[in-house]
Amino acid sequence: MNRLCLNATYCKGCLICVEACPTGAIKASGRINSKGHVLPEEDDMRRCTGCNLCETVCPDFAITIETADGEGG
Amino acid sequence: MKKHPMLKYLKEEGPAGPRLPLIMCPGCGAGQVLNYALHAVDTILQEDALRKEDFVFISGVGCSSRLASHYLNFDSGWTLHGRALAVATGAQLANPRLKIVVFTGDGDAAAIGGNHFIHTCRRNMDVTIVCMNNGLYGMTGGQVAPTTPIGQTTTTTPYGNVEDEFDLCRLAQTAGATYVARWTTAHPHQVIKSILKGIRKKGTAFIEILSQCPVHRKTSPVEMFRNMKKITVPLKKSTAGPAAGKIPVGEFCDIDKPDWIERYQKIMDQLSE
Repeated sequence: MNRLCLNATYCKGCLICVEACPTGAIKASGRINSKGHVLPEEDDMRRCTGCNLCETVCPDFAITIETADGEGG
Repeated sequence: MKKHPMLKYLKEEGPAGPRLPLIMCPGCGAGQVLNYALHAVDTILQEDALRKEDFVFISGVGCSSRLASHYLNFDSGWTLHGRALAVATGAQLANPRLKIVVFTGDGDAAAIGGNHFIHTCRRNMDVTIVCMNNGLYGMTGGQVAPTTPIGQTTTTTPYGNVEDEFDLCRLAQTAGATYVARWTTAHPHQVIKSILKGIRKKGTAFIEILSQCPVHRKTSPVEMFRNMKKITVPLKKSTAGPAAGKIPVGEFCDIDKPDWIERYQKIMDQLSE
């Protein structure tokens, strides 16, 4: 199963990744980082197709997907 | 843990400590455009016979212009306000083999640098202009810009803007650019493809990307990102009827004509015979 890799220091909690995800595999979490930004988290990664759209639209280079075969995007 | 693949092109550490996270506000479109541009550059480095040293990134002043020299692990220049294209022209003349990418904003390109913008297109210099258009002056406090849509409220037009806005794509096309396209931050693959085409194109390529400024528009990034597709319509479709008042997006022109260097070289070759 694919895995969400998030750099919590770079993330600014805009949640554009959650909006862009075409299958709804990620969602906003209740966790915040040291600056108070709400972080995204895995919702149902069985739905993740590894399209890497979250990674492409991220303004802060914080989110990426590690695919099940370990090769990543 | 796996890192974002584009981080290899960014300076994560500087002499004064960590440079990232980016200075931009949460949800700013400028970071997205940097991400898209790096995706395009990554493809070029993999597919074409080009090295990192063949690229130069030049920017002026403004939110968007912080992207080049502050974060990119490429040769880059941070120049005067509006004068990025003048410096890019100079870099082009000094070394015609360079691939020059200019990051600019709507204020930088259309307001203070409007003259340089028109004449770079007219001369058809071989530069790729990536223009982030958020429709206001973000860095100085959200004032009205030449690209602010009519009726839009900003900090200096609290009852709505009375001026018509500049259509930068039509301007670039009329001035003589060889490749002109407009997209929004909600069109990631189209933007990447256009920047890729623009860098490979001989001559001036102008790519305008409508970008969100959630802070000055006082709207959440997600809502602005969602609205991007609602306020635009593909160029080939009619802008009449239900699409009236929407912004056309797509490729405005893609023509072939000799650039400045080629014409100049022709004369130099004739004279040296």
